[in-house]
Amino acid sequence: MTAPTLAGLREKAPAGYFGVAAAVDVGTGITTPVELPATVLRGYLGGAGLGTWLMHHLAPVGVDPLAPDAPLAFVFSPLVGTPLTTSAKFAVVAKSPLTGMLTDALASSHFAIAGKRTGYDAIVIRGSSERPVVLLMDGDGSRLEDAKSLWGLSAAEAEASLRERLGKGWQIAAIGPAGERQVRFATISHDGRHAGRGGLGAVMGAKCLKAVAVRAATKVASFDPKGVVEAARALSTLSFGPATAKYRELGTLANLLAFNALSTLPTRNFQEATFADAPRLSAEHLSQLSGVVRSGCASCTIGCEHIYPGLGGKNVRVEYENVFALGPLCGVSDPDAVLEASARCDAFGIDTISAGGTIAWAMECVERGLIDAEWLRFGDGAALLRAIDEIGSRRGLGALLAEGSRRAAEHVGGGSEAFACHVKGLELPGYEPRTLQAMALGLAVNARGADHNRSGAYEADLSGRHDRLAGGASHVAAAIESEDRAAIMDSMILCKFLRGVFVEPYEEWASLLRLVTGWDVTGDELRRTAARIVLAKRLFNLREGWAREDDWLPGRFLSESLELESGRTATLSAETLREMIDAYYVARGLDQEGTPSSERLSELGLIELVS
Amino acid sequence: MGSPKALLEWHGSTLVRRVAGIVARGVDGPVVLVRAPGQALGCLPDSFDVLDDVEEGKGPLGGLCVGLEALADRGEIAYVSSTDAPLLHPAFVRRVVGEVSEEIDACVPYVRGFRQPLAAAYRVSLAPLVADLLAADRLRPSFLLEACRWSDLDDVALLADPDVARFDPGLDSVTNLNNQADYEAARAGPAPEVQVECFGVLRAPGRRGRVTIHAATLGSAADAVGVPLNPHVVAALNGDQISRDPEEPLAQGDVVSFVSAEAGG
Repeated sequence: MTAPTLAGLREKAPAGYFGVAAAVDVGTGITTPVELPATVLRGYLGGAGLGTWLMHHLAPVGVDPLAPDAPLAFVFSPLVGTPLTTSAKFAVVAKSPLTGMLTDALASSHFAIAGKRTGYDAIVIRGSSERPVVLLMDGDGSRLEDAKSLWGLSAAEAEASLRERLGKGWQIAAIGPAGERQVRFATISHDGRHAGRGGLGAVMGAKCLKAVAVRAATKVASFDPKGVVEAARALSTLSFGPATAKYRELGTLANLLAFNALSTLPTRNFQEATFADAPRLSAEHLSQLSGVVRSGCASCTIGCEHIYPGLGGKNVRVEYENVFALGPLCGVSDPDAVLEASARCDAFGIDTISAGGTIAWAMECVERGLIDAEWLRFGDGAALLRAIDEIGSRRGLGALLAEGSRRAAEHVGGGSEAFACHVKGLELPGYEPRTLQAMALGLAVNARGADHNRSGAYEADLSGRHDRLAGGASHVAAAIESEDRAAIMDSMILCKFLRGVFVEPYEEWASLLRLVTGWDVTGDELRRTAARIVLAKRLFNLREGWAREDDWLPGRFLSESLELESGRTATLSAETLREMIDAYYVARGLDQEGTPSSERLSELGLIELVS
Repeated sequence: MGSPKALLEWHGSTLVRRVAGIVARGVDGPVVLVRAPGQALGCLPDSFDVLDDVEEGKGPLGGLCVGLEALADRGEIAYVSSTDAPLLHPAFVRRVVGEVSEEIDACVPYVRGFRQPLAAAYRVSLAPLVADLLAADRLRPSFLLEACRWSDLDDVALLADPDVARFDPGLDSVTNLNNQADYEAARAGPAPEVQVECFGVLRAPGRRGRVTIHAATLGSAADAVGVPLNPHVVAALNGDQISRDPEEPLAQGDVVSFVSAEAGG
């Protein structure tokens, strides 16, 4: 019996797919095809879901995320390459050097389209090169080129240099100096957009891989091309409606003032939930101070990006998360300092949320006399910039902070673990868990760690459907629903900024998948798919040593209350959190230790991942 | 008065919707409405429990007994109000509820020269005692006070609370509408003065910060600033409670923040 050829694998793939991943060893330069059976594609869709399946199969159990054996997967999706708005996204998936568990991060634009059109549903990188290299993939296959001249450049500079060297048609995802130095929260970026969370850039840096360059070589066939075009037209029309107005008109930074008014804006390392100087950093204020330019990803009709001129004429892509993390969280209110901090994070290639979270923790340590770095004070913009520089170059205090807040707190001790605001090692995003208690659960139980893109339960908290200060059964249901929806959107892939346009999301998503793949997929099937993907992530973490205590929040949130302007006190007790987690486990078919029953595994077709 | 008091119009809502909503804001817990069997109360949020009075003609203690029994295991202290108190303020409710302590089972304000048993707070555990009084046909609220540890709060004590002094300086929270003239006089007064702020895309061009308006409900406030209360909009009252119910009652001094329901980033 002969092994199937690449052409053979592609031939039998469902529409929207190639049925094969490329596993590239950057140490040897050898590329091996990995068959992706139709059942796997239907069961995990693509993006984060398919990436999870690949990690189960390709990552050795217990592998050091920075070791050569650790795989790093760029995963595409069935929708990418179609005209469906916001579909030009890709997932990067690996075992995180920050959390030691699964991480998947999404980025957007032309790399996704060109990457898919290399003829693979995923590119998995293994091994490690002895010298800096760039991986090229196109119709001629894969090859490695020297990247010595690129080493030390920012991702944007490396991209520009490679585009010039390689010529038209190449799309590039690269790391900055922080990735090269294996800062544990380094990013991978393409065209200024980062696969940001969990330290994927460090995984790439550990392989001495500066960049991956892809060029389209083939087309992606849809099952019903005409139907896809009609659906794309309808979805585009919806994308101009009120559900996306916030993203179009002010961008995600519109959250800042609203969250401040709602006492959900984490400030000074989560010691407070409002920031008096928030108006100075608001989208409303910044857009009046200086001209803002709107932009968007390829194949997107929303155009959420708002780019501000920073110091020295730099263009700074501004989002709520980078402003929250480098502004209020560090007590910094100077817009120039915050924009410059954001620009430096981009240049180094580090995750702004983890950077801000780790620096804010260090600022509090200095305040409490636990770290001897008098220069690092809340509210000091210059100190913030110095801290980022030291992290990006792993100099001075930066050598410690580049490890992330969990490891740094373990090193410093003195009770600083209680105010190191992370879950599983991943620093918290800009959502205060005490005043958003469905989100508190979402943050605690998520496989990736404290994260707002894999659990958007804050939306239920802010809907008025339940009391956001009194966690209970409805909060649990909301957290599960949010996690499930994210699992599908991150796997199909569609941008979550589109989520508000769907009235019956699972049915509407199934309809899109039917057009692209020809499958008779239904909304109910997608609900099971969502549960499968969420559980598959948990299973990966379980095999890597996850324990129940990892589904928890830092001590600060459970021992310190917040006083609200309304006169109410926001308290999240350990008992409330434990009860919500218990209920979450029951609803997910897990035992009280967070392990799925064999019946549940069987129901969801997950037995193969544990056998 | 021509129609049931509970359903009298109040700035686009009804008395019962307003009073129940204000109590809900004041107590930070469940709300139970006790009605005469079959009494219509109009459209109310699902979060309110509506129960029938077990036996009519038992006066306020009958309703109190049903309400306290319904709250067993769901709270320790209940604020009790009649439905004809549309000027009730959440700060008043909080102050009265806060007076009940380890040593005190009930707090009955003494305002405007009268004891106010239907603008008062009672420990939920008094339910059996109230039931005993009903069984003994001792139907006056004063019989309950004789049998429990209670305190009063007079005008001075109530106004010592900075929030009560600021938002209800005339202690209008205890105003009852006993007849048509009372109703018309109260209804002719201005709606509460509130501040409204719109965020993000909801903010009108050129408008910054808070504007002061008169509005008795969230819907009126939204109309006043031209914000549609559709699924893409939510409002926060005083940076806390989130709602998009147009009949959500507003009280003097409230700050209403209208924000996009698409909250994330």
